[in-house]
Amino acid sequence: MIGFIILVTFIGIVIVAFSAVIQKKLADSVILLMGVGLGSVVLFFIFKAPDVALTEAVIGSGISSLIFLMALKHLDEKV
Amino acid sequence: MSLKRDLPTSTMSGFALSGILVLTLLNILLQNMPNSIQTAGNELLKLNANEGVANAVTAVVVYFRGFDTLGEIAVLFIASLGLGLMLNSNTKCDIKAESNFMLQTASRLLFPIILLFGIYVMIYGHLSPGGGFQGGVIIASAVLLLLISHKEFEVPHAVIIALETFAGVSYVLIGLVGLLVLDTFLGNFLPHDISQMGLLLSGGIIPLIYIIVGIKVGSEMSMIAQNLIKRSNDV
Repeated sequence: MIGFIILVTFIGIVIVAFSAVIQKKLADSVILLMGVGLGSVVLFFIFKAPDVALTEAVIGSGISSLIFLMALKHLDEKV
Repeated sequence: MSLKRDLPTSTMSGFALSGILVLTLLNILLQNMPNSIQTAGNELLKLNANEGVANAVTAVVVYFRGFDTLGEIAVLFIASLGLGLMLNSNTKCDIKAESNFMLQTASRLLFPIILLFGIYVMIYGHLSPGGGFQGGVIIASAVLLLLISHKEFEVPHAVIIALETFAGVSYVLIGLVGLLVLDTFLGNFLPHDISQMGLLLSGGIIPLIYIIVGIKVGSEMSMIAQNLIKRSNDV
């Protein structure tokens, strides 16, 4: 069962990461990158690294995505 | 169709080639790994019991590699300083539209809960997963929620400067006291008996240092968020 969850999460991460690369709009890429972070939170937690999972959840999919979105907003105003 | 146009065959084959190379390298490394590498964690776990800290990761980050953590804090401070120099926030708010009514109400409800959770993660860093970095960033995300929902809200500058200075100075001071008492920088000079393991007041200076790290990271990340959201328009 746990192996099945790991496999599904891993394949999901690869699919989401690949679709983040081929997106036309950069904002969509940032949202999909957040999904990659959430998937890796699940993997970190299953592989018994809750500290890293908490860090990834807060920094990887929380703050850094918001900083990316803020930077994109400023870029849209300039370009 | 569109996939083929966006990613030509050369790029795809480059991806596949680099993937195969990485897999081969990992295979060679895993097969030729000496046995002594795999037991390094056990030695650290044995040392960890001497410090009376329940969370082994915290003992490594704050005690065995405490000087590295000081360097990381310095790097974050320099990053925050550079961002503050480039995007000074003396002018008015950059967001034109009034935020949604739902967002305003929900942020008023959620802000104290997120703040409390951040402080909990920060203070219990030596007992449960989490610690200063994670707790500080959770506090900063609570501040970020207020920043995007309330146009008139601003992080008080004087409070941030006071907190950051206090945290940075006290980290170095604790390290210097350890140098005076135990002849090692960041030595654990407070009582850290193994029988106290699992209590809130255990581990000597380790929870103190993690709370200091949390204060510093929280204030720096709040300032970074405010600088990014409310910057002057003429940069």
